[in-house]
Amino acid sequence: MIDINATLVAQMLNFLILVVVLRLVAYKPIVKMLKEREERIAGSIEKADADMAEAEAVLKDYKAQLASARVKAQDIMDKAEKRAQDEHSAKIQETHSEIKQMKEAAQQQIQRERSQAVEQLKSQMVVLSMAAAQKIVSKNMDAAENEALIGEFIDQLDKDKIGDLPC
Amino acid sequence: MHEIGVRETVQFAGLTFNWETLVMTWITMAIVIAIGFLASRSLKLVPTGAQNVVEILIVWLREQVHNNLGTRGDFLTPLIVTLFLFLVISNWLGLVPQMASPTNDLNTTLGLALLMVLIVHVLGIYMKGMHYIQHFFKPVAPFVVINAIEEVAKPITLSFRLFGNIMAGEILIIILLKLVPIWMPIPSVVWLAFSIFIGGVQAFIFTSLSLAYLANAVKESED
Repeated sequence: MIDINATLVAQMLNFLILVVVLRLVAYKPIVKMLKEREERIAGSIEKADADMAEAEAVLKDYKAQLASARVKAQDIMDKAEKRAQDEHSAKIQETHSEIKQMKEAAQQQIQRERSQAVEQLKSQMVVLSMAAAQKIVSKNMDAAENEALIGEFIDQLDKDKIGDLPC
Repeated sequence: MHEIGVRETVQFAGLTFNWETLVMTWITMAIVIAIGFLASRSLKLVPTGAQNVVEILIVWLREQVHNNLGTRGDFLTPLIVTLFLFLVISNWLGLVPQMASPTNDLNTTLGLALLMVLIVHVLGIYMKGMHYIQHFFKPVAPFVVINAIEEVAKPITLSFRLFGNIMAGEILIIILLKLVPIWMPIPSVVWLAFSIFIGGVQAFIFTSLSLAYLANAVKESED
């Protein structure tokens, strides 16, 4: 059962041949492929990391842009509102002053027309009174005395009546 | 079925060869090469089928080599991968009816063990020079006797362990088939399953021990 013979050497050679053949047929290509795979995986992971970093940067950028846009929009809205307010108050002011001006002009005109009317009335009154007095008294009174009397009369009339004239 | 322990021999150039062992060895070699060829026929970055199995094996053994021998031993990985594949297929071949394991012949196991020991010593002297020879005389010179016995024991234990396990397995298969009637196949099946397990384990033990011996010669010494 245990007889050592030349088979021993043959087996050694057989095994060495097998080592050489298997190394050529299977080991080398498989190890080469393993290395390729390792490199590919490492590359993929690296790329994934880079992509992620880039995505994060882009997201950050977008967020910043969005925030600044929001601030800008708010700013524009604020400005517009302020301008509208300013315009509004300016218009009101203008209208106020216009109304005031018109009022003043109207008052002045009234005053002017009133005094004109008074003057007219006064002169007419003198003429009328003179005529009336001449008719009533007809004689013995000199002109100077008459005029003084009538003037006094008109002045009294002025005080009592003309001030109450509706106008 | 041949008689246990009797080997058919052929004479060639004045030398005696065990014919059955040689034939079975060539069959084993053919199977191993076929597996390697199938696995590497169409290599893909995403492995499938046979490529997956052989790849796992190679990666695992490469790691073993790396752990035991360091980066300096990388060139020995093909040897270790071949050794393991050859032994596994050899051990399992004997479980197929009409076949025999090449490893049931001491010529095979002793041949492999001697080859390993030879590689160990040659590599040791090549890589470490005098330092390697000196380590047989450590810690003190008389230890050379014990070390020499150890070095002789290495191939003997390595070869007889494998030979004994596989031979015993095959003998028991034959005995079980003769003892137990054919309608009661459970013992044979159980023993077959166990033999498959033993075949793998023994191949692994042989490979691991070879690695350990190689580590002695190749790995950079820490002292």
